[in-house]
Amino acid sequence: MADQSSSHAGNPNNRLTRRQILGSAATATTATLIPLTSCTTPVSAPAGQALPREAWLVLEAFVERLIPADANGPGAMAAGVPYYIDNTLRQWNSAELDFLSLGLLELTRAARRRYDRDFQLLSHTNQDALLEAMEKGEIDGFENAQAVFNRLHRLTLEGMFSDPYYGGNQNYIGWDLIGYPGAVMASTPDMQRMGGRLPPLHTSAYGSDYDGD
Amino acid sequence: MAIRLPETDVVVVGLGAAGGVAVLPLTRAGLQVIGLEAGTWMNPGRDYKADEIHNNVRSLVTTGNKVGSEIPTVRRSPSDTAVQQARHPMMNAVGGTSIHYHAQSWRLNPWDFRARTATIERYGQDYIPENTTLEDWPVSYADMEPFYDHVEYEVGVSGRAGNIQGRINPEGNIFEGPRQRDYPMPPLRSCDFLDHMFKAAQDIGYHPYHGPAAINSRPYDGRPGCQFHGYCDRGGCHVRAKNSTDVSTIPKALATGNLTVTDNANVRRIEVDNTGKVTGVTYLHEGEEYFQPARAVLLGCYTYENIRLLLLSRSGFYPDGLGNSRGQVGRHYFGHWDIQGGTLVSALFPFDINIWYGAIAQGVMVDDWADDNFDHSGLGFIGGASLHVYTEKHPIGAAAMGTFGKVNKRWGSEWKAFIRENAARSQTAYIQTNTFPYSHTRADLDPLVRDPHGDPVLRITNGPKRNEPMAAAHAADKMEAWFRAAGATDIVNTGGGNGPNLSTHAHGGTRMGNNPDTSVCDRFGFSFEARNLGIIGGSVMPTAGARNPTQTIQALAWRTAQHLVDSWDDITA
Repeated sequence: MADQSSSHAGNPNNRLTRRQILGSAATATTATLIPLTSCTTPVSAPAGQALPREAWLVLEAFVERLIPADANGPGAMAAGVPYYIDNTLRQWNSAELDFLSLGLLELTRAARRRYDRDFQLLSHTNQDALLEAMEKGEIDGFENAQAVFNRLHRLTLEGMFSDPYYGGNQNYIGWDLIGYPGAVMASTPDMQRMGGRLPPLHTSAYGSDYDGD
Repeated sequence: MAIRLPETDVVVVGLGAAGGVAVLPLTRAGLQVIGLEAGTWMNPGRDYKADEIHNNVRSLVTTGNKVGSEIPTVRRSPSDTAVQQARHPMMNAVGGTSIHYHAQSWRLNPWDFRARTATIERYGQDYIPENTTLEDWPVSYADMEPFYDHVEYEVGVSGRAGNIQGRINPEGNIFEGPRQRDYPMPPLRSCDFLDHMFKAAQDIGYHPYHGPAAINSRPYDGRPGCQFHGYCDRGGCHVRAKNSTDVSTIPKALATGNLTVTDNANVRRIEVDNTGKVTGVTYLHEGEEYFQPARAVLLGCYTYENIRLLLLSRSGFYPDGLGNSRGQVGRHYFGHWDIQGGTLVSALFPFDINIWYGAIAQGVMVDDWADDNFDHSGLGFIGGASLHVYTEKHPIGAAAMGTFGKVNKRWGSEWKAFIRENAARSQTAYIQTNTFPYSHTRADLDPLVRDPHGDPVLRITNGPKRNEPMAAAHAADKMEAWFRAAGATDIVNTGGGNGPNLSTHAHGGTRMGNNPDTSVCDRFGFSFEARNLGIIGGSVMPTAGARNPTQTIQALAWRTAQHLVDSWDDITA
């Protein structure tokens, strides 16, 4: 048990930050890429270290539709949710990598079949229509659409609302959204007061070790 | 061949909530004790984090290599093929699951110990649920009281007494049995939300009280009070304020000089001689097999492994498993129904309740609808459930909240607006039901699924019940009324839960009783067949109270250990 908790994401050396990803985008793995014939994607977008670039681009659009930037504040992209998901697929849930990566590529294939464009290039309305069909498992030729949606939905929540130590919830965007002040080692009665939002503390369980940007 | 070690007085198998307590009276009496634990020592500073991913998503505190390799299978009926579950509810470590439990620490109600007789007296034979194998416990509340007291003072329990020697204190639990003295510590601090719920309960005539916890509410036994950081659930305590046995009773036992802890010890068999007497245990440690001879053995694993080890320990004397000549090992098994897919009552308030911090055990309880604390005439069930509202909410869990039908999607802008407004406004009550054994609930060895050593895992057959879901649904309606009295605008009430899942509150399977034809161990927890084998843990409990079992498990373990001390010559003859 102790061995487990000192490896994986508990080790700061294994963490992936936005900065590192931007720096390593040029060398990101392409080993598992699946050729996409009509792919038109921005070449500047960074890829994760686990997900192939095409899947990463779909993931960015996916998480932003799940938690969009809007009148209630920034969304999943600003919080770095794809970085959390990529980190967790690389360090922790690597057994899920193919399942989710192929699922994201299936989503963009479905987008091309239905709208003749990659998922990330669709209008929000069309993206949402496709996601609703995916959530219900009603996309022809995408057998496990619902399972992929459910898992990515869960990972999006984790990325948005977990400790920023893991690469998401950057600048405490997720915690600010729901009013969780921050991780502390002790709380006072005043921090359990009722009525009205508690002021943000913007603290990670891992203190200054957190390398958010 | 196993390496034969020098004989010791007592081997305790498993140093969790039960074994970790039993070692204290044994070693204080001067017996030489070897504690064999499948896990290892945890390090609070290194292993425990204020982090939902660490504790709840990745289960890094609670994952155990051994339990993870022997997860039981589960089925609804004998005609089904049982399916192995994804995760074992318990952990391996010195301290066991007392490390990450919620530490709600209760005495059972006096009624629990005599539910059968009390039911027949008050309502008649017809009120005994169909197919139940319910028996009165072979011990009474009065028998247990001194041992409850030992646990409260030696493990460390905070709370407010409701009944000291018959004197009722309305600020405590007025339904509890008489205790000889108050708790050693006052209850955990309250907070705005709990004060609010307390008052709402009083307004509708309930009798609320602040629940007891095996958590220091102030410095005690050389360790600090609770810091209320909100990561008690599935995490250990970073300041050692939660009184898991690895920081409370085990260090006291080590201080006597009479306890040896062997960690990473995987006990495979309990060995017997040709007279049926237990001679010791065989275990694996770092790739070697050892035989540890002992004058007496206390089996103190979780319910599932207690049952399995007995069934696996076949011999010429016990061809059907140790102490199982009458086929009772694995019978009278049951789990609390509230766990996983059970009864849920969730409330949404029109104001922020801000229960992020705190601890699950920082809570307000109502016992009015538990046990036999109300008239069941015409209701068609016996028992009931306790109601518990509490603090400690984690951000991912809060964001994944149900939407009370207010938005139809679980993503997108509309949903985002919903959680922005409501994530700090919701609470789900914890409802625990009095639960009984039935002829169709049992555990045996799975015919197909094996652990890495080739031994079968345990198989749980747990069919639906009628009484318990009715009792839970009745209590759930009372919970809903309480939430509404507190100003909740929206409620989700799932009614009575009924799931066959593995339970963190697994009971029975090596039931204690007065009749060897219907139970495995006697009123002191010793096998009717192998007289120098004591069994400790939830597996000996004949019924489940409407509350967490751990303190009762610990009081029983203490009592079994004390009996071994008091009757040493008889038991080891």
